[in-house]
Amino acid sequence: MLQEILGFSRHHLENGLKVLILQDHTLPILSYQVHFAVGSRHERPGITGISHLFEHMMFRGSKRLGPEEFSRIIQANGGNLNAFTTLDHTTYFENLPADKLELAVSLEAERLSNLLLTEENLETEREVVRSERKMRVVNSPFGLLIEKLYALAYERHPYRWPIIGWDQDIRRLTISDCKEYYRRGYAPNNAVVVVVGDVREEEVLKLISKYYGHLPSQPPPEDTPLEEPPQRGEKRAVFKKVAQLEAFFAGFHVPGITHEDVYPLLALAHILSEGKSSRFWRRFVKGGEAVEVKVKVDPLPFWPKDPALLIVYGIASPGTDLEGLEERVWEEIERVKDQGVTEEEATKAKKGLRSSFISGLETAFFRGLLGGIYEIKTGGFERAHGILEGFDGITPEEIRRVARTYLREENRTVVVLRPVSPEENEVLGPVE
Amino acid sequence: MKGFPLRAEDVGRRELDNGAVVLAIEYPKLSLLKVHLMVKRGAERDPQGQEGLADLTAEGITLGTEGRGSEEITLAVERLGAKLSASSRWDASFLTLAGLMEDAPRLLEILADITLHPTFPREEIREALKRKISRLLQLRDEPEVVADEIINGIVMEGTPYAHPTYGTLRSLKALPLEAPSRFWGENYLPQETVLLLIGSRPKEELLSLGEEALGEWEGQSSSSADLPHPRLPGSRRVLLVDRPDLTQSQIRVGLVGIERRDERYLPFLIMNYIFGGGGFSSRLMMRVRASKGYTYGIRSTFQALRTPGPFLISTFSPTATTPQALEEILRVMEEMAKEGVTEKELEEAKNYWRGSFPLQLETPAQVARRVLELELYGLPFEDLSLFPERVAGVRKEEVDELAAEFIRADRAQIVILGKAEEMEPSLRGLGKVEVRSFREVIDVPQ
Repeated sequence: MLQEILGFSRHHLENGLKVLILQDHTLPILSYQVHFAVGSRHERPGITGISHLFEHMMFRGSKRLGPEEFSRIIQANGGNLNAFTTLDHTTYFENLPADKLELAVSLEAERLSNLLLTEENLETEREVVRSERKMRVVNSPFGLLIEKLYALAYERHPYRWPIIGWDQDIRRLTISDCKEYYRRGYAPNNAVVVVVGDVREEEVLKLISKYYGHLPSQPPPEDTPLEEPPQRGEKRAVFKKVAQLEAFFAGFHVPGITHEDVYPLLALAHILSEGKSSRFWRRFVKGGEAVEVKVKVDPLPFWPKDPALLIVYGIASPGTDLEGLEERVWEEIERVKDQGVTEEEATKAKKGLRSSFISGLETAFFRGLLGGIYEIKTGGFERAHGILEGFDGITPEEIRRVARTYLREENRTVVVLRPVSPEENEVLGPVE
Repeated sequence: MKGFPLRAEDVGRRELDNGAVVLAIEYPKLSLLKVHLMVKRGAERDPQGQEGLADLTAEGITLGTEGRGSEEITLAVERLGAKLSASSRWDASFLTLAGLMEDAPRLLEILADITLHPTFPREEIREALKRKISRLLQLRDEPEVVADEIINGIVMEGTPYAHPTYGTLRSLKALPLEAPSRFWGENYLPQETVLLLIGSRPKEELLSLGEEALGEWEGQSSSSADLPHPRLPGSRRVLLVDRPDLTQSQIRVGLVGIERRDERYLPFLIMNYIFGGGGFSSRLMMRVRASKGYTYGIRSTFQALRTPGPFLISTFSPTATTPQALEEILRVMEEMAKEGVTEKELEEAKNYWRGSFPLQLETPAQVARRVLELELYGLPFEDLSLFPERVAGVRKEEVDELAAEFIRADRAQIVILGKAEEMEPSLRGLGKVEVRSFREVIDVPQ
């Protein structure tokens, strides 16, 4: 089924640009996406957050376009657009009426060729990103906790710093950092263009050659991150902030996207905490002991390229002792390791994973993301064809095996949120 | 693969003898079935002191029927890989069941069972209330949510739309366990109910499935509620709510907008796009973010209800730049009200709404939202087909008049949540400032 629905054709320009095309004449629309193989994994301490800040700079104008004019033009042509930065890649996209193909190609190529990187633009965007960081992390209930968790769980691998970067690094990034980043990371041989929708293949290729053909290739950014050594004992930390409720966030190291254990791990997460028939919901949430107890993993295709963290978190209800809650959550996990899961639970998880994945296929946009992100992270979109088979192959034995392999105490990092009053908070010093 | 319908005639409609309406749309692309049950009674029906009751009732019907306990319902749904959700918003309550087309008979049997025969078991309701109270307590740590609650309460004061749809700590703690059953009896009536099915079968077949599900429901008489309209106070006020631990303030500027049936709905949509709804095409975003860098995001939104609803500007800014951000917002408001929009802005806004029309109806969820909204407010499905054409016909004078009438900087109700001490002096010039502690404004335990 996926061979057809995700039946992209792949093409290469001489400068190394890859192009994936998927024709779908269902609706007169198209999704145009450019995925660059640069993310926070390509950063180093001192310039953390540059991938994300740079994503902002891509909207600040070029030779032909004023600041944010890119967005204005796309919208004025009936389109929507955005971009996002992840651990492994940076993605730009616009969804448009099908007759606006040339507009999308020309605008994306324009900012890839002629981006305007000025001090003035950098200063504005630096403040915008610092505001974004305050919104997403500093003033959000658990943002700083999750940052702490990653920083503690990873000791060597670049996944240990946040995608948005440390505030101090955001403050000192320079325009020459940005220029160097642009030159290497935003080269045609480091990008995949994806076009999905009511388009003709020859037309797409003709336009892409016309607008991107002249761009020179570059030596790509280095991508040999330090490997994370196996964790050999639990790590714990406490974080204090103003809050109504206590909580814990725990991370377990699990493999990256191409590993076959990803499927049983997704099923395990489903069985433990997806929906009201899940084990965590029934034991902790239904009766009101916890506000939430969940297993968080990134769905496909967003699961990270390198070994990732599977996060288990619990937010205690008022009157619930957090230590006790945490202990009972580990008890539930031990139960899976000792006794496994039932055939019925496995079937339910498989069906649930299958139907949410199929729902995603409704949009041209998501199909494009699947193709582009698999191409960048796994070397070929063809791997995405195996997703439904991956779900079908899940068995109760496999689920138990991955629980025993990865959800071990030695492989666990825990950060606990201890609420403090505003007065105590003052004494603890500023957060950034 | 065949595409999605965009025209009125693609929506099948059947009115049953008991007054319920069944709608059906064929979505042949994937073998999915999405069923939306809408009861045209929402949180505006919450009795005073029992805020959150409509929402609790919506969840409550999924917690037990004459033939099934809550676990059985959950298992029956999740065994099919389906998802069931229920909630109450303004003007309506919704139950959504999404699964695979092959499971249609079972999914609809479950839906009919919970809609027609809920029993609201006391223990289940007690637990549901406890969950809602804990969740609400956790929401007190989300500054955006708290700021939204405060501004909504101010703008909609004196109307049944002034409280959070999920209730308050005080109201939830006081709710009697039998209240949902009574609310259901009075409000879940076939003549107030619309069932929409979107699936990969012909619409006639879907209509019959829907009819079978709700056909045996017996109707009873119902009364309509009298809904007073909100009245914006005559002068500008700033309510500064102190949260000394926040490094960034939440900023809300509150006004009153229009009702959904207002003939000026489309010009209002376009006016709002230019003002603050259109991302980087909007004046607020270009001025407050792109040229000043005061914030990561700013937007204006309006909720068109059975009565005029809130018309809000929402943003956030680090403590040090909050007063400047607010000043800039007020300047943009004054300019837009006085000078109106430019021809170019109008053209681009119209092109956006016209051009993006197919993209806005790409998925079953998007189509469902649009169709149910029309049905809820008694608007014809022709609006679907005519939307692009009507957008094209919007005139500059209409948009300018709306800007002048609704963007009232002089009567703006402003809420700022953040470090009061640092900001108060600089805010004094912008209107009458009242400083309140967080606990005075928001109900939290000591």
